[in-house]
Amino acid sequence: MRSQRVAKISDFLAPAASAWGQVAGEEISLMPTPLPMQPTEYIRNSWEGRPYGGVKSLRVASVHDGETWAIRATWQGVSPAGKDFPDALAVALPVSGKPALITMGGDGAPVQFLRWAANKDKPMSIVATGIGSSRPGAKIKSGAIGEASGDIWNVVITRALGFGQEVAPLVAGKKTQIGFAVWLGANDERAGIKAFSIDWAELALDA
Amino acid sequence: MSKRQVAMVMDLNKCLGCQTCTIACKTLWTKREGMSHMYWNTVNTQPGTGTPHNYETMGGGFKDGVAQRGHRPTVEEFGKAWDFNHQEVAFGGKPDAHLMADGGHAGKGPNWDEDIGGGEYPNSYYFYLPRICNHCTHPACLEACPRKAIEKREEDGIVLINEDKCRGHRFCQEACPYKKIYYNEVEEVSQKCIFCYPRIDEGVTTACSRQCPGRIRFVGYLDDQEGPIFKLVHKYKVALPLHSEYGTRPNVFYVPPLSPPRLDENGDATDEPRIPTDYLISLFGPRVPDVLKKIEDERERVRNGETSELMDLLISRKWQDLFGPFTKHPRDAGRQMAQGSPVKFYKKGERP
Repeated sequence: MRSQRVAKISDFLAPAASAWGQVAGEEISLMPTPLPMQPTEYIRNSWEGRPYGGVKSLRVASVHDGETWAIRATWQGVSPAGKDFPDALAVALPVSGKPALITMGGDGAPVQFLRWAANKDKPMSIVATGIGSSRPGAKIKSGAIGEASGDIWNVVITRALGFGQEVAPLVAGKKTQIGFAVWLGANDERAGIKAFSIDWAELALDA
Repeated sequence: MSKRQVAMVMDLNKCLGCQTCTIACKTLWTKREGMSHMYWNTVNTQPGTGTPHNYETMGGGFKDGVAQRGHRPTVEEFGKAWDFNHQEVAFGGKPDAHLMADGGHAGKGPNWDEDIGGGEYPNSYYFYLPRICNHCTHPACLEACPRKAIEKREEDGIVLINEDKCRGHRFCQEACPYKKIYYNEVEEVSQKCIFCYPRIDEGVTTACSRQCPGRIRFVGYLDDQEGPIFKLVHKYKVALPLHSEYGTRPNVFYVPPLSPPRLDENGDATDEPRIPTDYLISLFGPRVPDVLKKIEDERERVRNGETSELMDLLISRKWQDLFGPFTKHPRDAGRQMAQGSPVKFYKKGERP
């Protein structure tokens, strides 16, 4: 995926901004996280035979203006209000080493997530070094706006370019990797019960 | 496995249903925002639906050692705290206003159906069943949590939710077959009875046991051979776990209730107890008849002028005998704590 350099990121903060129409997007396939990889016997047993991770794909596009990076994700699956768990989207970026996305990183190979949830104003910065290990990540200037139109979510997540301890590097002119996870709240999806993007996709930021 | 296990025995022959335990707990632990529906200690009449309503049908626990899927109780099933229009009635200047809960649309409260019993007159019956978290030896909640946010303390087996690790996924609520875990929507964490561990750490018994006017609650270590728990559970074997078939090995035990004899159609006493033994077996397991006979035999011995350590223990003439090693006054512990205690409480995110 290319993150195109643009003049003003402010033109891209709204999910429905017309400027996004000028940016080529791409389709990211998702699949349910494998049941055997769920971290507890209770979760494996109680989700046996129950469908989850039903969001099959995301449409994503990305831009930056040299200071701020933005990604827009669009997918089908809007839960009605009043459910116990919110619809949510996480964007994963490797911090260092060569973390596996499917295991949410590992020892010495952390992954940083920016997680937007439909019931929150801001994305959460999370760091993980393995399944079930996620914890609040480094504070970083970030934002998110989600808009539902019918059954379609349109979400923009932004983050300051740069890098640091437990801050995944996003640098103009450099390449990194990116992954995604989507939770459908109406289906009680939370924690590892979700759809995810199987493996990393390349993310190349324009110089 | 913890090195020791602190436990509680409740003698159902003495429970008054006064809810002092409930309020002692409520005022001490669940007054923060998001906790209005929480009663870590509940007392329900039996037979009844319990709290949350129909919890015995909600699954969870283990069957043949295998974790079972469970239902996640809603706030409404627990019994939502009612808001009353006291202000309107007292100060609203409306002579016709009358006291209403939730504008007259209140749902079931936590003790809904209280005092509805079973049986037909003259053999109708009920008894009270207080419940707290069972601080199980095989806690389904702990094993279900994907975040390892639930810990069983090595020193005393108390099961605690680490609110800094909890992300509010609520698998624990589903997995607990006793449905004694609540969710705080404000703090976005699961919360439950903590067996008053800050008191236990200071040698003070739990608030529910210390405040109990009926002296029904015994507290101590399961392996303390001189303590009340060991004697009631292991030595005299008169205290039984609730629904042991749930497979979690609970550490709260109950002395099942005796009852007056059933009356026949002529109004004469029969040999059958008024509370059906089969019903008690459905709660406390197949040893119920042995326990009831043991207590009746011991009573008979006392009536005949003999002494009975078991009866003395159950009567609890000396209040402090109920609490094993946890006999310190909370005031004294409080003084000590004021001079620098390691016990601190934080809301989620406040921990330094």
